[in-house]
Amino acid sequence: MPTTKTDALDLLNRYLHAVKFWLPKAQQQDILAELAEDLHSQVEEREAVLGHRLGEDELCAILTKRGSPLRVAAGYIPEQRLINPAMLPAYRLVLKITLLWVLLPLLVMVFIGQLFTSAHAERVLLLFWAEAGRTVFTVVGVVTMIFALLDHYHGTVKGLDTWDPRKLPRVPFQPDTSARWDQLAGFIFGMLAAVVWVYFLSRRTGFSFPGGPVISLTPIWAYVYWPILALTVAGAAADLVGFLHPGWSSIRSRVRIAIDACMLVLVATLFTSGNWVRIAASTLQSANLSQLMTWINASIQITLALAAVIIIGDAALEIRRILRLRAHSHTLTQLMT
Amino acid sequence: MHTNEGGSELFDNLRLELRRGCLAVAVLAQLRTEYYGYALRKALANQGLAIEENTLYPLLRRLETQGLLVSQWREAEKRNKRFYRLSPLGEEVLANLLTEWQQMNSALERILDRVPVTQNE
Repeated sequence: MPTTKTDALDLLNRYLHAVKFWLPKAQQQDILAELAEDLHSQVEEREAVLGHRLGEDELCAILTKRGSPLRVAAGYIPEQRLINPAMLPAYRLVLKITLLWVLLPLLVMVFIGQLFTSAHAERVLLLFWAEAGRTVFTVVGVVTMIFALLDHYHGTVKGLDTWDPRKLPRVPFQPDTSARWDQLAGFIFGMLAAVVWVYFLSRRTGFSFPGGPVISLTPIWAYVYWPILALTVAGAAADLVGFLHPGWSSIRSRVRIAIDACMLVLVATLFTSGNWVRIAASTLQSANLSQLMTWINASIQITLALAAVIIIGDAALEIRRILRLRAHSHTLTQLMT
Repeated sequence: MHTNEGGSELFDNLRLELRRGCLAVAVLAQLRTEYYGYALRKALANQGLAIEENTLYPLLRRLETQGLLVSQWREAEKRNKRFYRLSPLGEEVLANLLTEWQQMNSALERILDRVPVTQNE
């Protein structure tokens, strides 16, 4: 059924009003006047073809075809961007590194210790996740804002255009990219091991159990305490350096082999001392005490033997890695010549 | 493996990219004669280049902001209409664009002549 002229005007006005809501203020009137004129022209043409005033459905069809008010208005808003697309790879890299540097210390230094000491481990974990979420939000916000400001002031675009091929980084001699993630895992586990080592053995001479035996550590532990801690932290640092600088992989492997050799000496020293703990237990009979001693000593012996195997295995892997890097480097040299 | 929908979407995106630059040239070329928006759209459609209103009007506004077009509100057929035409800067830019387009078109034709189009079964 054909609409009256007032009905058609009302529908058009409602449409224009809805479009106006989304338009930039400075251009609202100008854009709306042109849009209104265009719609009137379309309506007139359609009415001329059909030979009667348009019905509500026909008018709706024209408006629907034109698009929702938001879509129509969006066409007039200039394309905006927060970060220059050319800078997106750099943005992602900076974000990853920043998150790693902020989240890892937060996890290792602040929460792992609390997790062991707190009576409410689940509360500590919950606190960690809340804090981690807040930190990620802040880091992403700050990094994004810095890149947006760089884009706004065109600082980075100039840098992109004035580059020197001679300053490009060397091709990393690392055929196995998964090794990088092994190194990251090595760093994380190394730091965790250092925290656990400090927590259990710092200034400790023994372990006492309520109503049970008192296990005293022999002086050999105090003798190896600092060297083992230093080597563990050094190993973690070498892994971190290897992760951040893939091109230094060969140097990292050599450092790891040296660390493994020192660690092996320490483990051998511990192993040969053969006297790791003393046990005092007034409640235990001598037979039981002897059995407990045997059990603890056997456990320590097995652990040390396992540690030695792991250290030798790690050193063997590093030697293999160096050999592979050397072979890869040789292949690259042949390709270049 | 691409599905038909995926291929169709890919084609639509590439077609959109292809059209984007051509539309600006076509609008500039058409506006060597003065037109208002609705009449311009019809003129382009009559020559085989259909263009959506939601594409045309923002494009006209952008080209005017860039100084390639000038516009004027004037009464015609009992209503106020906004008439657009090419500015002196627009004429200069259009000439350069047409040269560029002709070079690209010639290159494309040479490439198509050398490599016959094959239909994959």
